[in-house]
Amino acid sequence: MRKQTALIFGYNDYALEIARNITDSCDDIYLFSLHSEQDILNNKSDFEIKSFDFSDKWDFITENVNFEHSIVYCVLEDNAENIFLTISLRSSFPDLNMIALSNNKETASKLEMAGANKVIPYIQTTAEMIAEMMEKPMVKEVFHKILFESGELKISKVRINNSNDYLGKTLSDIDWDRKYGVIVLSLVEEDMHSEFIYSSKIKHHTISEGDVFIIVGYENDIKEFEKIMGGRCDVDWRHWSR
Amino acid sequence: MGFFSRAIVDLAYFMNTSDAYQRKRRFFYDLLENERYPYKKYFDILMMSLIFLSVVILIAEVKSDVPKDIQLFNTYVISIIFFIEYLLRFWISSSITEIIINSSEHAIMLDREFSLSRALFKITKVKLNFVFSVRAIIDLLAILPFFHELRLLRLFVLFRVFKLFRYTNSFKIFASVLSTKKFEFLMLLMFASIVVSVSSVLIYVMEGNNPHSPIETLFEAVYWSIVTISTVGYGDITPATSEGRVVAMFVITAGIAVLAFTTSIIVSALTEKLDEIKEVKTIEDIRKLKRFYLICGYEHVAKEVAKKLQSSNMDIIVLDEDPHRTANAKRDGLVALNYDPGHAKSYKKIGIDLKTQVKAVLCLRESDVENVYTTLTVRSINKDVNIISLLMDDINRKKLNFAGVNEILYPKGLVGMIAKELIGRPVAFEAIHALRNDYFGVDVEEILVDNRMSQNFVYVSDLKNSRFRIILLGIYKKDKNRFFFNPIDSTILEGGDYLLIIGNSAFIREFEKYLHKKTRI
Repeated sequence: MRKQTALIFGYNDYALEIARNITDSCDDIYLFSLHSEQDILNNKSDFEIKSFDFSDKWDFITENVNFEHSIVYCVLEDNAENIFLTISLRSSFPDLNMIALSNNKETASKLEMAGANKVIPYIQTTAEMIAEMMEKPMVKEVFHKILFESGELKISKVRINNSNDYLGKTLSDIDWDRKYGVIVLSLVEEDMHSEFIYSSKIKHHTISEGDVFIIVGYENDIKEFEKIMGGRCDVDWRHWSR
Repeated sequence: MGFFSRAIVDLAYFMNTSDAYQRKRRFFYDLLENERYPYKKYFDILMMSLIFLSVVILIAEVKSDVPKDIQLFNTYVISIIFFIEYLLRFWISSSITEIIINSSEHAIMLDREFSLSRALFKITKVKLNFVFSVRAIIDLLAILPFFHELRLLRLFVLFRVFKLFRYTNSFKIFASVLSTKKFEFLMLLMFASIVVSVSSVLIYVMEGNNPHSPIETLFEAVYWSIVTISTVGYGDITPATSEGRVVAMFVITAGIAVLAFTTSIIVSALTEKLDEIKEVKTIEDIRKLKRFYLICGYEHVAKEVAKKLQSSNMDIIVLDEDPHRTANAKRDGLVALNYDPGHAKSYKKIGIDLKTQVKAVLCLRESDVENVYTTLTVRSINKDVNIISLLMDDINRKKLNFAGVNEILYPKGLVGMIAKELIGRPVAFEAIHALRNDYFGVDVEEILVDNRMSQNFVYVSDLKNSRFRIILLGIYKKDKNRFFFNPIDSTILEGGDYLLIIGNSAFIREFEKYLHKKTRI
């Protein structure tokens, strides 16, 4: 995994949790605080706190940040401020990768309109997990393992390249799970419209170059599969925002 | 202590500890008084139909001859049933044995001689209290038609109608609503009676001796006055002189005021009590529920959880001590009660049985203090119920665990993990988020393999899931406590395993039906 720079706007428990979780995968982590003086004084974490305001002076970012290898988290607690921050960053830096935190659906859509690449709807996700815990405990367990624990099960995207034996064949004819030990969950076509594998439309889909498979499997099997089918599909930030 | 009183005390102790006696007493108490006793309903219906029957017979007797045996049934059987009921109520209204035991223990404690007469006096007082209560008097009067020789006593059958109050809840509620306005009704009654007495005396004095006036006696004057003040105004008696008409105008004006006042009192009493009445109804409904989730505290997360659970047709009850949040929950179409989930009393009042009725308690207040408090309360009532709680600050994790929470969800930690996922493996997050949200109708389900199913489907290859356009993600083996992803065809299915499948919800339902239906080949 490429090392990245992470900029976290907002100094609160969410920011600290994020910072703690991403230390392994990021080289530099900068925390920015809106009320910097107090926060810097009281800072008990291991991270450096910088200050920022809404005056559109983003000298630090322009000087230090390589857009391709950096990621911005907007986690201000006030919704309006968070949206304003997102929109001011987007207006200054069209290529920045931004993830914003939102606590309800309305804010989530506003944040997306403001230019966030990805919104973490944390209240919704928490609720989903609780509901799942109640109704489908096994599903929750497995998902949790796939998502958050460094278990062996992974979900990955694989792009079909042109030197492939399966080009032109029907998707449902091939027994992927027996042959390669991976389960194909869904297929993303050229137009970025994803379809679930067993939906009626995709059943007769012929595999063509540029299709992207979303697969579940053990890490080794996924690597094998990637070799056969083409390349791993990297995160395409521009397509995130739906 | 004399031999006699000693024998009485011994007998009281014996009966109080006798299992058979207490069981019988308990049974009759449940049948007559306990609203939660399932068979009370049938008893009430039986009594109500007896009442209606006797009223119907009373009406039929007016114009036609009722057969002798029906009359006998009416006078003897029904009355005897009512009489037995009266005696039972008299019995269970208070416990004689307990009074004797209490006073004897009291005497021992104070080192005093046990006085039988004092105990008897106490018993008489308690029992007389029952006999002179309004309900008991009505019950007694309802039995009176038994002495059917007196023609007038027949009308006491109508007292049986009053007995209906006992067997129906809505009457009780209505009576309790009106009783909150006792003072206003008293005022009204005073006002009306003053107007009636003054005006009837006035009209009697003015027209009693007038040959043209129909008012001859004081009784007629009172009758006229009441007919007028109630705005009924039959017109059979009308004042003949101008003085009399002046009195009439005064009474009519007062009558309008009385009527308006009465209506407004009843209406305001009802509106004031409307919430309470609704609450009584909700509580009754809750008691009837078999399995539900109890959400304690209704804030953002709770709202989303409720929405999710509701969409899978689960019953949810929301408890919150804040009226605003309770109102919010009601607006979202949930059954919500404004009770503090941190008080053991709340559960008692509502009558929630944590052991049998509640699937899980979800402490979803966005405050650790409240959640710990609620958890401790619930745990103190029941040791086994499943409790899930939100955690707002990681330093309180230990406290929640100590309070007895089964599972903890920490949203901030979740945000951190998601943030990590998003730079590491965003696909996984996307895919699972989509699956969780019914993206294009695609759903994840777990199916429990029961013993019958494991006999019909021995191997994984027997499931034929791809025919149903279902992906078998894996099998969770209970005995090994492990999840087997993408199991090979020869994996044996055992009872207690869970199948994790992904597919269109409609296909999943079909598949489930097929799994349950298929019989052994």
